[in-house]
Amino acid sequence: MIQTEKLNKIYKQGKLKVKAVNNVNLKISDGEFTAIVGPSGSGKTTLLNCIGGLDKPTNGKVTIDGEVISSYPSNKMIKFRLNNIGFVFQAYNLIPVLSAKENIEMIMLMQGYDKQEREQRSNDLLNEVGMGNMSKRRPAQLSGGQQQRVAVARALASKPKFILADEPTANLDSISTAKLLDIMSRLNKQENITFIFSSHDQRVIDRARRVITLEDGKIITDKKK
Amino acid sequence: MNLITLIKIGWRNIWRSRKRSLVVIFSIILGLYGGLIIASLMITLNDQRMNTAIKTYLADIQIHDKKFSEEYSLKDTIYNIQSIEEKLKSDKRVKSYSKRTVINGMLSNATGSYGVNVLGINPENEIKVTSVYNKIIEGDYFTSKRPNTMIVGKKLADKLNLQIRSKVVIAFQDINGDITSLLFRVEGVFKSGNSMFDDNNVFVKNNSIFSNLPDLKGYHEIPILTTNSNLTEVLKSDLQNISNSLDVKSWDDIAVELAYANKMISSFLYIFMLIVLCGLSFGIINTMLMAILERKKEIGMLMSIGMTKWYIFLMICFETIFLSLVAIPFGILISYITVDYFSVQGIDLSIVESGLENFGIGTVLYLKLPSEYYFNLGLLVILISFISSIFPAIRAMKINPVEATKSI
Repeated sequence: MIQTEKLNKIYKQGKLKVKAVNNVNLKISDGEFTAIVGPSGSGKTTLLNCIGGLDKPTNGKVTIDGEVISSYPSNKMIKFRLNNIGFVFQAYNLIPVLSAKENIEMIMLMQGYDKQEREQRSNDLLNEVGMGNMSKRRPAQLSGGQQQRVAVARALASKPKFILADEPTANLDSISTAKLLDIMSRLNKQENITFIFSSHDQRVIDRARRVITLEDGKIITDKKK
Repeated sequence: MNLITLIKIGWRNIWRSRKRSLVVIFSIILGLYGGLIIASLMITLNDQRMNTAIKTYLADIQIHDKKFSEEYSLKDTIYNIQSIEEKLKSDKRVKSYSKRTVINGMLSNATGSYGVNVLGINPENEIKVTSVYNKIIEGDYFTSKRPNTMIVGKKLADKLNLQIRSKVVIAFQDINGDITSLLFRVEGVFKSGNSMFDDNNVFVKNNSIFSNLPDLKGYHEIPILTTNSNLTEVLKSDLQNISNSLDVKSWDDIAVELAYANKMISSFLYIFMLIVLCGLSFGIINTMLMAILERKKEIGMLMSIGMTKWYIFLMICFETIFLSLVAIPFGILISYITVDYFSVQGIDLSIVESGLENFGIGTVLYLKLPSEYYFNLGLLVILISFISSIFPAIRAMKINPVEATKSI
């Protein structure tokens, strides 16, 4: 369970103070497939950054399974992210010098998995996202959609409690978007993996089972389908 | 995460921008090459200067009477020379020795007068100790049957306009303190490679000295060549124990300036190379900072997914060290090939002959470089690379993952 209580994030822009997240109270249960939507500058990314522990809230709390992670010191937060949160980035952000398989294995290496387990899991995950036959290719040899599928596999590799995906389909064509959403939806249903997206892509919104709309850092609507 | 993965990522990262990495690698190779070749030149110049001095006149060890060393008086000959000779003949560390008389006098001819050091030698024995016989450029090395012949240095010959068979007069104070003059004819002209020595020293036969100075009964100087220069100090101390009246000196006691240069050269070279490599380090720092700037997003992503700052630091350090690890073998190899080639072929520096001769150095340099310089300079490059990596690595650690990735 992910919970935010009176979450605020204020940025300073010169003398101006900008409330990117404004008093957000939110509960996301395990196994949800949630989209946070809203126009540019509405605070979607900042809210995800706070939930993922990349940004510290100005005040308020982020609690994950009862642990208040918003008060964690930097090093503890890094370890928490490694073992509990999967990230999918808009620009894929794979390491260009590693193959698809090595990109997936790397996060498991950080966690200390042995070689056999890494091999097994990375192969399984690549097959899961339909990239089993491209495991040795480097990111430059893959299309955007293929890279994003590898990124999803990498996010899953650490066996996270939930996956945060910021605009995962923003750089993809419609076919790649459909494939990616199919994969994530299947993983959510079959393996009960929690997905939280930020997006303003209608195709993502259509597939989400819960849609939270933000405006000026505040939750305007919260609809479950 | 284990170190092997970090090493693997670091290694691959340096080949992401091949051109940039190759520029740094080439600059390290050139820096290393330049440093090693200059070290080799300096060591060779110093060694050649030292060897010229030892082979031409110093030998490894010289024995004098203590009083002679202080006053340079003709009467202060070496006491009990037979027992010293017996010791020298039986000692396996002694390769050869000779006996010299030494007179400080004034050499004159129609052109002018000049203060010289007259070294009386037994030509056959002196051949075994010093190499003046090999440096004759005009005339002969004591082959004439005439009694009073002399060989002079090229510089002195030019100064006094001396030709073969020219007559010269040497005036000096004899044993009784009276001024005595002896007439000699020039039999040969030598060029030792040390113009200062050639300017001040002449060789005559001991027989000529003894026949003209019947009161002089002994020798003033015993130059000794050892079988191995490392034995010099031990032999010197053993010879000193023969008698307190002896003044036994090794070459570095006699030619203090040569010994000082020899001791200082290593420190000087390392300081010089450190300066060269410090200059190089700025290039490395600049390249790594550019690499980090380019990969800001990727580093931010690594931090986001859970790579600690310490691992980020190590990754950047590995990348920098790898650049030097690639460059070092090439730098050492081409330096070694160059030194090896010129150790046989020699570098002809005859265009600066007169300048080199003033320092007692020949015109052809046969390069040499002790192996420890290759090793130590290689280590120094790795150390400098590591130090150069610290600043970029700290910059990488300070990257804010949120700003770097712009989004999660």
